[in-house]
Amino acid sequence: MSHNDTIPLYQSSQSDIDEIENMMNGGGFQSGPGTVLPARPPSPTRPSIPVSSSSSPFVQSNLPPPPPSSSSSASQKVTPVPAPPSLPPSVNFGSSEGSKTTGFGSPPNTLTEPVWDTVKRDLCRIVSNLKLVVFPNPNREDPGKALRDWDLWGPFFFIVFLGLTLSWSASVKKSEVFAVAFALLAAGAVILTLNVLLLGGHIIFFQSLSLLGYCLFPLDVGAVICMLKDNVILKMIVVTVTLAWSSWAAYPFMSAAVNPRRKALALYPVFLMYVSVGFLIIAID
Amino acid sequence: MDPSQAPVENYANPNTCLFHVLFKGAALAFYILSALFFNSFVIIFVVTVLLAALDFWVVKNVSGRILVGLRWWNEINDLGESVWKFESLDQESLARMNKKDSWLFWWTLYLAAAAWLILGAFSLIRFQADYLLVVGVCLSLNVANIIGFTKCKKDAKKQFQQFASQTIASRFQSTVQSAFTLV
Repeated sequence: MSHNDTIPLYQSSQSDIDEIENMMNGGGFQSGPGTVLPARPPSPTRPSIPVSSSSSPFVQSNLPPPPPSSSSSASQKVTPVPAPPSLPPSVNFGSSEGSKTTGFGSPPNTLTEPVWDTVKRDLCRIVSNLKLVVFPNPNREDPGKALRDWDLWGPFFFIVFLGLTLSWSASVKKSEVFAVAFALLAAGAVILTLNVLLLGGHIIFFQSLSLLGYCLFPLDVGAVICMLKDNVILKMIVVTVTLAWSSWAAYPFMSAAVNPRRKALALYPVFLMYVSVGFLIIAID
Repeated sequence: MDPSQAPVENYANPNTCLFHVLFKGAALAFYILSALFFNSFVIIFVVTVLLAALDFWVVKNVSGRILVGLRWWNEINDLGESVWKFESLDQESLARMNKKDSWLFWWTLYLAAAAWLILGAFSLIRFQADYLLVVGVCLSLNVANIIGFTKCKKDAKKQFQQFASQTIASRFQSTVQSAFTLV
């Protein structure tokens, strides 16, 4: 989770800016948008200056006035903070309640933000990750950097959903089907990541897990369609299409991570895993 | 926080404490009791792992912040490297934290991990590989939280020591300078 939408500041300059901002806002404190992680980790909003630019992840520099701050004590419960409507939907704007004057000069506002903000931030992150991965933009400038704010909630839901769909479609041995699907996908993702790392590729473990999980989304859709319609020909067509879509979604990240001569070595196992999942979907009756 | 308190300190954030314990307890209870009610492994798996994941999120994002003032996360910087970040409240706020809250926080973390270990040992003895999978997932989530928060606490202590030594050094410097200007 990188705050790719704001410039992270060092603490010394942050304290100056804090003082100015405090004077301007009369004691309220605005935190910049941050990136987040899920099921497993979320990223906190960091105190930093929002930079306006033409690309979507960046935030407009004219900050909306902070909402009236309530108590700044550490015992904050779920207090819904109204998000400013002018912001693009993919960026979550959290604001902390009041500024804590700390010895360091930079209030740890992710520590004091309301719970609702954290939830919203995580949800927005999941949606933006999904859009980035599954609807690949061919004009994207650097495919390897796109899944910076990795999160594991998305992959978790997709794997479980796929397992549930397969298990539902199966007429016998439902538990085994689910366990096999889940273990195959989870272990497969880990092994594929290790494969890339051992080939000398530069990829972060969790980033790759997250990516492979998100690329399961088309296969999830295919599995649902196959569950509803039992025609074998239709199943094969649907699975082929979604399989191609999944592989096409995973391709830019994996190929950007390894040496060009080893691209095929890294991509072939991914394709193989998705093909095996496709077979599972077709073969279930 | 309540001025008319009894001499014994009370929980400062009872709701947060409740949620902190709720999901952990629910996951453990569901796992243990579900064998009596549900025949289907799938339901047990999905519900237990979902509760464990929710517990992970709550501990990491909510109760860690509110009960002990710590937070940890992972970022990928511009160079494409993974960086573990730790954040904590400053010394005075940390010292003001409710002792009972932090006692509850740490002990329930450890106890939950120990409970999952024991359950894992049981399923290992019974050669139930699929239940071992469930236990493995829940245990790894718990352990991840424990490691993350322990590292965060150590990092916070280190930062305070650094800050304290910096403050002392700068004060010393300013006193020396003022002494020289007087001379």
